[in-house]
Amino acid sequence: MELDRSLVSGSMAMLVLKLLEDGDKYGYQMIEELRRRSEDTFHLKAGTLYPLLHGLEEKGLVTAYEGEAAAGKPRRYYRLTKRGHGALREKETAWNAYAQAVGRVLKGGACFA
Amino acid sequence: MPETIQGYIEAVEEQIRWRRARSVVSLELRRHLEDQRDAFAAEGLEDAERLAVEEMGDPVSVGTELDRLHRPRPQWGLLGLTIALACVGAFLRVWLTRGDGADAVSPVMAALALTLGTAALLGAYFWDFTALVRHPRAVYAGALAAGVLSWLLPHVNNAAYYTRYIILLYPVVYALWLYSCRGSSWRHFVLALAGGIPLALICMLAPFSFGLFILLVCGLILLLCAVRMGWFGPGRWKFAGTALALAVGVPVLFFGMGYGASFIMRLRFAFHPELDPYGSGYWGWMTRMTLRDVPFIRRDEHASFGIASRGRAYCSWFGEKSYVEFSMDQDFVPLKLLVGWGWLAYLLLMAAIAALLVWLLIRCLRQKQQLGRLTALAVVMSLGLETLFSAALNLGFVMFSSHLPLIVGNLHTVLDLALIGLALSVFRGGSILRNEPPEETRQSVFPWRVKISIISSMKT
Repeated sequence: MELDRSLVSGSMAMLVLKLLEDGDKYGYQMIEELRRRSEDTFHLKAGTLYPLLHGLEEKGLVTAYEGEAAAGKPRRYYRLTKRGHGALREKETAWNAYAQAVGRVLKGGACFA
Repeated sequence: MPETIQGYIEAVEEQIRWRRARSVVSLELRRHLEDQRDAFAAEGLEDAERLAVEEMGDPVSVGTELDRLHRPRPQWGLLGLTIALACVGAFLRVWLTRGDGADAVSPVMAALALTLGTAALLGAYFWDFTALVRHPRAVYAGALAAGVLSWLLPHVNNAAYYTRYIILLYPVVYALWLYSCRGSSWRHFVLALAGGIPLALICMLAPFSFGLFILLVCGLILLLCAVRMGWFGPGRWKFAGTALALAVGVPVLFFGMGYGASFIMRLRFAFHPELDPYGSGYWGWMTRMTLRDVPFIRRDEHASFGIASRGRAYCSWFGEKSYVEFSMDQDFVPLKLLVGWGWLAYLLLMAAIAALLVWLLIRCLRQKQQLGRLTALAVVMSLGLETLFSAALNLGFVMFSSHLPLIVGNLHTVLDLALIGLALSVFRGGSILRNEPPEETRQSVFPWRVKISIISSMKT
């Protein structure tokens, strides 16, 4: 199923932060992991990911360092900061509230009119 | 739409206006493209490189977005305050010493120092700080060589005059040395510690006890920060163990080398100059006598004339030159300001310098790149210690000879401006400075690997 991009773009920062919650990752790993966990629903382009990651780093939500990937290849790993953990919690709470509200409306929930 | 990795990278780089940001951004994108190309090739897809490039998205919009994120951060406020303070310093040096005869500071020399210093400040500010990141050991070796060579130049009052200026750069040099020694083994940590020894020996050779004091204090704090940042491997116990070992070891070494007794004597006469008002406590005693009855506001510079000359005559008469090692004509410019214009003028000047240092410290602590943070911290600590001991000296607590940054001394001002320029260069490049991998893992990285992969991709 092809998703409407506008549905995804607003929550992409949250998804990236969530991916880093399990451990440090570099860009390519994140794209692969997102694809796997979303069961091939999210095909994040690298051209979207890197500006997003650099923006998160600028805000202090993630930090980056040089590490070694498989076969000793140097890669730029990203790590969630303490501030990033806090921001993720907030975004998750807001998203859940939003998703529940949308769900209620779609199911034809309570109407006081 | 480009079809090769090189073409894609060039298209992205064209959109990024800040030249320093291009190489950093393109390295990360290139690595990603290579991973994607290899993955497609492993799946047996033909034209893997073209497909990898297509997966990336539009290079113009990627480059434009990265250009928006990575811009130099101008430090106009700090630059302005620094230059303004240097101008005030040049004016005070000339104005307050104009009645001191041979001790008077030449307006031409003060203007020349201000011009050279401003050039050094702006030169360091616009300079690419990452050059230091690439060649830390070369800088260390150069600083050692400069210290030794300057010692061979003519001495003044039995001290290597120019070596004392070079020594003021040593905390920054030691920060670079620590950065070059990163590694997880004890060998790296021992090497990092050992790097301070040649620098300390040059301080002792000069001799320059305040320079040695600054190097010890800054060096220990920098070392602890480096351990805390994990430069020598993970583990809090390593930090605690290092802190404890240094807290015990350094005083033992200090006293063992014979500096302990001299330090205690300095400390004693700094707080109680009246114990020997005509000997070792003379400067402190004289300064305190001078400060009696100084009003909050005054306009009588003549009251301050001759302070240095009286001290010089006294020291010459009693043969105290060997103990009194500070420069009598210039280190007391703040005292002259206080005596001539009252407490308000002095406090305003000190508040302005303190504001500059606090501002620098705040920027320093916000810095993400580790070497940048440590280098800026070395600059702030050096200037902070000089300010602290200069204030003590001018208020009658004579511990060390120390100049007030940006205010006292023509050559000192040039050096201070260059150091502040270096710190501002770090802050300016804040968004793009990257932590390089330690030496042990860096050998096979950029640019060799990239060059090889480009060549191999061209062949295929």
